[in-house]
Amino acid sequence: MTEHADHDHEHHLPPKSSVKRWLVTTNHKDIGVLYIITSLFFLVAGGILAMMIRAQLWTPGGTLLGGQGYNQAVTSHGLLMVFWFISPFAFGLANYLVPLQIGADDLAFPRLNAMSYWVYLFSGLLFLTSFFLGSSLAGGWTIYQPLNVPAFIPEVNQVGSLATIFALMLFVAAVTMGSVNFLTTFYRMRAEGLRVRDMPLFSVSILLTVWMMLFAFAALLAAVILLSFDHLLGSVWFSTAEGGSLLWAHLFWFFGHPEVYIVFFPALGVMAEVFQTFSGKRIVGRKWFVIAMALVAIQSFVVWMHHMFLTAINLPIKTIFMATTIGISLPFDLMVFALIYTLAKGKIRFKTPFLFSFGALLLFILGGITGVFLGAVVLDYQFRGTYWVVAHFHYVMFGGGTALIGGLYYWYPKMTGKMYDEFLGKVHFAMFFVGFNLLYFPMFVVWETPRRVFDYAAEFTMWHRLATVGAFLFAASFLVMIYNMFKSLHSGEEAPDNPWEYASAGEWAVPSPPPLENYPGVPSYAGGKLSFLTRSEAADGGTVVEQEVAGTEQTAPDGGAIAHAGAAATTPTTDYAEELALEDEHADHASIWPFAISASAFVTFLGLSGISKAYFIWPFVFATGFMVAYFGIEGGRREGFGWIHPVVMALGGAIAAGGAYLLAIDKGGLGAAIDGASVYFWLTTVGAFMGAATLTQLGFEEFNVPEPAIAEQWPFEAVSNVKLGMWMFLGSDVILFGAFIGSYIFMRVGHGWTDWHHDFIPEAHVVLPGLINTYLLLASSFAVVLALVAARQQNRRRLLGYLITTFLLGVGFLINKAVEWEHLFHLHEGAFADGWTFTTNIASSSFYITTGLHGAHVAVGLLITLYLIVRAYNGAYLGEEEADTIEHFGLYWHFVDIVWLFLFPLFYIL
Amino acid sequence: MGPGGISTEIAYVLGQTGGLSRTPADVFNTVYLVFLILGTLVGVVVIGYTLTKAWRYRDDGERDDESESDKVVRPVLGHLPTGSGGGKKLFVSFGISAVIVLSLIVWTYSALLFVDDTPPEVAAEGEEPLEIEVVGKQFNWEYTYPNGHTEEPTLYIPEDRPIRLKVTAADVWHNYGISEFRVKTDAIPGQTTTAWFVADETGTYEAVCYELCGSGHSAMRGDVVVMEQEEFEEWYANTTDGSTSASVNSDVTGDTDANANTNAADPAATEGEA
Ligand code: HEM
Ligand SMILES: [Cu+2]
Ligand SMILES: [Cu+2]
Repeated sequence: MTEHADHDHEHHLPPKSSVKRWLVTTNHKDIGVLYIITSLFFLVAGGILAMMIRAQLWTPGGTLLGGQGYNQAVTSHGLLMVFWFISPFAFGLANYLVPLQIGADDLAFPRLNAMSYWVYLFSGLLFLTSFFLGSSLAGGWTIYQPLNVPAFIPEVNQVGSLATIFALMLFVAAVTMGSVNFLTTFYRMRAEGLRVRDMPLFSVSILLTVWMMLFAFAALLAAVILLSFDHLLGSVWFSTAEGGSLLWAHLFWFFGHPEVYIVFFPALGVMAEVFQTFSGKRIVGRKWFVIAMALVAIQSFVVWMHHMFLTAINLPIKTIFMATTIGISLPFDLMVFALIYTLAKGKIRFKTPFLFSFGALLLFILGGITGVFLGAVVLDYQFRGTYWVVAHFHYVMFGGGTALIGGLYYWYPKMTGKMYDEFLGKVHFAMFFVGFNLLYFPMFVVWETPRRVFDYAAEFTMWHRLATVGAFLFAASFLVMIYNMFKSLHSGEEAPDNPWEYASAGEWAVPSPPPLENYPGVPSYAGGKLSFLTRSEAADGGTVVEQEVAGTEQTAPDGGAIAHAGAAATTPTTDYAEELALEDEHADHASIWPFAISASAFVTFLGLSGISKAYFIWPFVFATGFMVAYFGIEGGRREGFGWIHPVVMALGGAIAAGGAYLLAIDKGGLGAAIDGASVYFWLTTVGAFMGAATLTQLGFEEFNVPEPAIAEQWPFEAVSNVKLGMWMFLGSDVILFGAFIGSYIFMRVGHGWTDWHHDFIPEAHVVLPGLINTYLLLASSFAVVLALVAARQQNRRRLLGYLITTFLLGVGFLINKAVEWEHLFHLHEGAFADGWTFTTNIASSSFYITTGLHGAHVAVGLLITLYLIVRAYNGAYLGEEEADTIEHFGLYWHFVDIVWLFLFPLFYIL
Repeated sequence: MGPGGISTEIAYVLGQTGGLSRTPADVFNTVYLVFLILGTLVGVVVIGYTLTKAWRYRDDGERDDESESDKVVRPVLGHLPTGSGGGKKLFVSFGISAVIVLSLIVWTYSALLFVDDTPPEVAAEGEEPLEIEVVGKQFNWEYTYPNGHTEEPTLYIPEDRPIRLKVTAADVWHNYGISEFRVKTDAIPGQTTTAWFVADETGTYEAVCYELCGSGHSAMRGDVVVMEQEEFEEWYANTTDGSTSASVNSDVTGDTDANANTNAADPAATEGEA
């Protein structure tokens, strides 16, 4: 329904027909569409690789791809599908629909949302680029160690392998930003009267998914950071014979098992929505369905070792993990039965969305039953590393994918305003479902085929050929889908607001596609039904608040009569007049910086993939100098010059000049340094400078995002969006550091806790520098507290003074650390005649990288402090509310401080 | 625990009355068969039920909504969800499925104990297991016998005698498995894992790597030759070029405890014989 005018231009947003619109938009619906299209692109990429795999398997020991090529295809296929296709596809739907379903006008942090998307896209592009840098990673999507450290990767493939690892790192960054954003949105921006448990089930499933994502991906991030340092700097985390392999397995599967539910939950949410709509029934046992999901989400973090039953773990641990694994399958039984019983007494219409969701349920039942086989440890022993596992996880994961495709058909009319072609949809389903089973079921039959191997017993040939035929049918079915989507976009029937009888969620109460601001007023569920509050001028000059109940007119299915939702039942009320006035605040919807920052990240990491160890740090030193100087320039230009600006510029210049001086010493002259720099060095430098500039621009950009004045915010009524977001981010950071510290303890226990010191650590590694740094950080935390007080009291000079104190103390911390490291690097002590560096042993690797990660947090904090100083100079942050920014920074800074209080004893005293 | 202590009981639990001649392969095959039958049954029942319901309640435009389903409250656009019935049925079926799953798993637990236990004496003569060390390396298997003799890439073993494997890796993570005898275990650098099996028929089989280990992974296979006992003894006698001290370790009677397989890294044991 597009009777409403396109208001978009009023929000500085170019029309949808312009390319620029898609680069600058921060609107959740646009970004949802971008996610969906991009993820389908990666589906095609991963699909082409899958076709190559299946072609190779046409005969045992096929020769289409070589040994390395086959491994590369298998690995990239897995990574692309699991990371770059299925979750982003689900999050495309979530981006589009969650705000509509919960009554928000956008996500809590629209620019951050855009950034998640762009970082995701560029991470995928970096992945694809890795194919052209020798080879992408070829050691399996599980990236087991030590196969994937440089020692076991041919020289020519190392750049590409590292690029793949960085791609994964960027992807995780995107996911973390997305999780923080969604969590804040869920807890702060629900429509009035909408309790968490009453949200549509798709939104419930996404809420639980982002909770799992926040923590699980932090563990993966830790693993990937460690791995990237093994590549970049030659640290020895995963090449250490005592426990390196197992360390990776633990970290990976601690992430990996929740990941399987992260993939599956959104699908479950879609199934629940579609089942309810197309059977015309509320789901049976809704409460239990939600409780079961929540249980699974929590329990998913305590089953990871069932992927390691054949490692040397002992019987009691095996028993525990067997129990938790079986335990986690039980809530799924309940959910499956709930879906099945929802069909009873329904009025089931076998439209395409339902067919896909129904098919997904059948596939999931099969996947679940075969999962119980795996839960029996004696059976798992033999299934491990075979096609049984391959078949099982395709049935569950792509079973989930099946439901998501149903979701795409279900919401296609809402997103495009056009109906898809029902006949083609059914054709797609038929080909898809037959192809799917033809492809994957034979894998159960010939499960004795080893996984990731292209040779198999000759008597299996028939079955593998069947699977290959199925694969091509399956792939072809997607061509039908893509054709349908394109065709319908141009010539599909107009879609009404609600094309589906019995649909109940909020998105169907607004036009298709919804206008930029989503609702014709402020949505509210107070009273149990969706209504919209609007404010208008009354004849006597006062304000009148009108409440329209949504969806009071039933819309005819199949697009007959198009009724506008919420036409009837207008009740004037007088409540809310004040809050509604607040809701009218102007909101921004366009910013180019998320795109620009992500592009910079792409260039930077592309460069880092090939940079040599000796050059790694310099681009960042120069970029930091540049960024600091740029703070001064932009701050002065935008807000008026004062003494602070030249000081900051000079500081930036000094950092850069100092860096150049040190580099020259290090390389024997600046000329020699430049001659020795590879193209990767220049790429990194360009990327880092772009990043410095674009981040600064983002910081100075005026971008208004009003918080809702009328909203359900339990249990976070008292905190602002930004503060809640900061908490969520720090929550994931806790896991990140926890994983680092846990890894250190794991390796140390593996070696022998007390021998560690004796075997690995030089005498010169003393307590004093750590102790001094502890005092410096504590003092700086104190200074931040005082800065906050000063800001609240609107005392500009004291605010500036305390911020500068914080900055100086932090700088002291870093300098002290640099001196300490420099000393240790260049030791000539007995066993450490060549110094104690990243590569010396696992103790040095863990010391430098863990405290280095912390140091990076300090450095970021200092850049933010400088930015705050520049802004505070011109009077920012003064006042009760304005001071919130200082408070949020304080949260971060105290957190960094607390982390140090853990690291100091662990790495200096114990 | 004496030889066959736990395992005798398990043999009993598993309903084997034919003496001690059960092997891990038998156990796997039994459990797998039971799971397959039950799994198929459950699958057919659940999927059959689902399909029937879906068809029965299809909207063919003929069923009169009011008369047949007066109790059903259809969802209305914009309304918050209200409780829907059917909770009891849900819990009954959930309970049934939970009972099936749990009892299956508990039952297999005894099988797990059997497989994870040290090998019992299987032959009537009380023959002790033959312990062989396996080292996975890109892209081959190397075997060390109790007498110090090493073989690569073919494994020679006697039939009907428990073989105990101590497995590790020299470079990257591999996984050692002989599908025919249902034996498999990880080969991890710096770790030693154990597994045991009995080959009950002579012939040539294949040991395969089940963990991606590099470009040659697909071809990382080695023959396993199972010989008659006397034939093996003969072959083995000709290989005693290893050190004599190695025989100490070959003395693995059933006296090791059930936790022997749980010890993690014990490279010393490996090196002792190499
Ligand atoms: C009925 C509940 C389930 C049970 C009992 C179960 C059990 C297992 C077990 C024990 C494994 C390890 C197999 C091995 O490598 O030895 C496994 C693998 C796997 N499962 Fe499940 N699973 C269940 C449901 C799911 C779901 C819902 C998903 C995804 C949506 C999933 C995705 C996977 C994946 C991706 C792997 C393979 C990981 C790899 O690459 O090695 N499973 N499952
Ligand atoms: Cu798992
Ligand atoms: Cu291998």
